[in-house]
Amino acid sequence: MSVKNPDMRPELLQVKDLVIQYETSDGIVKAVNGVNFSLREGETLGLVGETGAGKTTTALGIMRLVPDPPGRIVSGQVFFEGKDLLKENKVQMRAHRGKDISMIFQDPMTSLNPVLTVGDQIAEVVRIHEKLSRADAIKRAAEMLQIVGIPAERMNEYPHQFSGGMKQRVVIAIALACSPKLIIADEPTTALDVTIQAQVLDLIHNIQQKYQTGMLMITHDLGVVAEICSKVAIMYAGYIVEYGSIEDIFEDPRHPYTKGLFGALPNLKKKVHRLSPIDGMMPDPANLPQGCPFEPRCPHRTESCTQKVPEGIEVTPGHMVRCICCAQGGGK
Amino acid sequence: MSENIQIQARKRSQFIEVWRRLCRNRLAVLGMILLVVIVLVAIFADVIAPYPYDFQDYSSVFLGPCLQHPFGTDNFGRDIFSRVVYGTRISLRIAFISLAGSALVGCIVGAIAGFFGGIIDAIIMRFCDIMMAIPRMVMAISIATTLGPGLTNAMIAIAISSVPNFARVVRASTLTVKDQEYVEAAQSIGCSTARIIRKYIFPNILAPIIVQATLGVGTAIILAASLSFLGLGDPLVPEWGAMVSAARSYIRDYPHMIAFPGLAIMLSVLSLNLFGDGLRDALDPKLKK
Repeated sequence: MSVKNPDMRPELLQVKDLVIQYETSDGIVKAVNGVNFSLREGETLGLVGETGAGKTTTALGIMRLVPDPPGRIVSGQVFFEGKDLLKENKVQMRAHRGKDISMIFQDPMTSLNPVLTVGDQIAEVVRIHEKLSRADAIKRAAEMLQIVGIPAERMNEYPHQFSGGMKQRVVIAIALACSPKLIIADEPTTALDVTIQAQVLDLIHNIQQKYQTGMLMITHDLGVVAEICSKVAIMYAGYIVEYGSIEDIFEDPRHPYTKGLFGALPNLKKKVHRLSPIDGMMPDPANLPQGCPFEPRCPHRTESCTQKVPEGIEVTPGHMVRCICCAQGGGK
Repeated sequence: MSENIQIQARKRSQFIEVWRRLCRNRLAVLGMILLVVIVLVAIFADVIAPYPYDFQDYSSVFLGPCLQHPFGTDNFGRDIFSRVVYGTRISLRIAFISLAGSALVGCIVGAIAGFFGGIIDAIIMRFCDIMMAIPRMVMAISIATTLGPGLTNAMIAIAISSVPNFARVVRASTLTVKDQEYVEAAQSIGCSTARIIRKYIFPNILAPIIVQATLGVGTAIILAASLSFLGLGDPLVPEWGAMVSAARSYIRDYPHMIAFPGLAIMLSVLSLNLFGDGLRDALDPKLKK
């Protein structure tokens, strides 16, 4: 168990058996299949997986922003501070969004309204959730800009006058303006240059440490996870295949998929001739295999893998793996 | 204080950008100048017109253009120039009011259809399709006949028959804007749907609406003139269409009676169309050089 994060802090977010499906003309796309995880105040959970694994859908599910139709939250519970968000009505839900839970989007180029100044856009969220005058909201917007490292004089400029990294800072300022308890960052650095990535990550991390905000960090970059997360959930085809503290995942990965991910990463210390990629492609979420979703690509597959989806097994306290090899004491 | 100045400077610079592109288009500038002249004529009709529009002088009927009467006089000895000048006022009023009405309704209906999609969209757009299947002129005439003659009813008829065009343009633009990530971002900060449409969708689709409105004014002027021509306007006011209609029985002997109001209709519609086309090009970011 992680020593840095004693489990004394109250649970902030608890996702239980969340199932989200998209009903399309080609059949039902099973995007999220019974996802479980929890997050405490001030903790950062990394949600890792390749494109199409259901990471973003999970995040939208928490916010109840899954586009409906075609998306539908089929079952499950999302407890935020003890309240089930999936049972809240629209008005209550709207009050949570931006105030208690806010989201940082993947592409800063398109997530700002091109016809409003950045100052107005930050003030907007403040004005929606707090009874402040326009002048006070603008003042708050200026403060927020400074917190994210943009001079307040630039608040009257339009998004197209900012660079990508600066835009992402503005998006972060909007997300933080009402001091939310939970931030969902959906691949916040994917669209940015590597140097800017580091700056933005540092900024997010510092702010999160300072305000003790819970954070759900969605990424497909294990380097990002290593830098700022305290817990990790590895997602594959809508399932969380491995879930544990950062030490569990990075030092003792059990699931073949997790191992595959690490095998595909270049390592400075080890000299390898070639990286070992994971063969094959992720299965079509509209047509998942009967058994373990990773079975077709798994180097350790057996006959019994095709029978049914393996249950999650706790290999050490707090470290869950969804693989039958681990149930039989293998997997090492 | 300094903040306000900065905001204004920024907004003006965007406006200047569009203005420059507009000025590069000679035809658009011509249309704009004509339009300004027409609007000025409408505003200062009392000063410009030498006679009241209903002043009858039976000693000088059917006069051709001369110094006292630049456009000549009609069968009641009324000064055609004065009547055309006052007619500018009426035509522009009908066109702008009916256009404002149809723009308002069309924008709301189109935005709702585009934003919500699904069954609401299907119902609204199929209804628009039905309306558009009937030619606009026929539609306007049938509505105006149902409501009875009169300028207000003509305005209502023109407004109703223009709604589907607006609804289509607004719906199409809404569809492209609503899937933008900033709309999703707006939802994620807790914006209500009405607020999203007002602050996030509407400002982003303003350009096609402006173009549609400018071109729509021209059509509305023609529709208004046509309705008056058919006797569905107010016979007591000097509407261009009504003047053309009254003059048509004298077309062989006194063609000036029909030529000048007709010319007024043509010039105003032409100026609006030239200006509208120019605006469309100037506002289209794809044509930026």
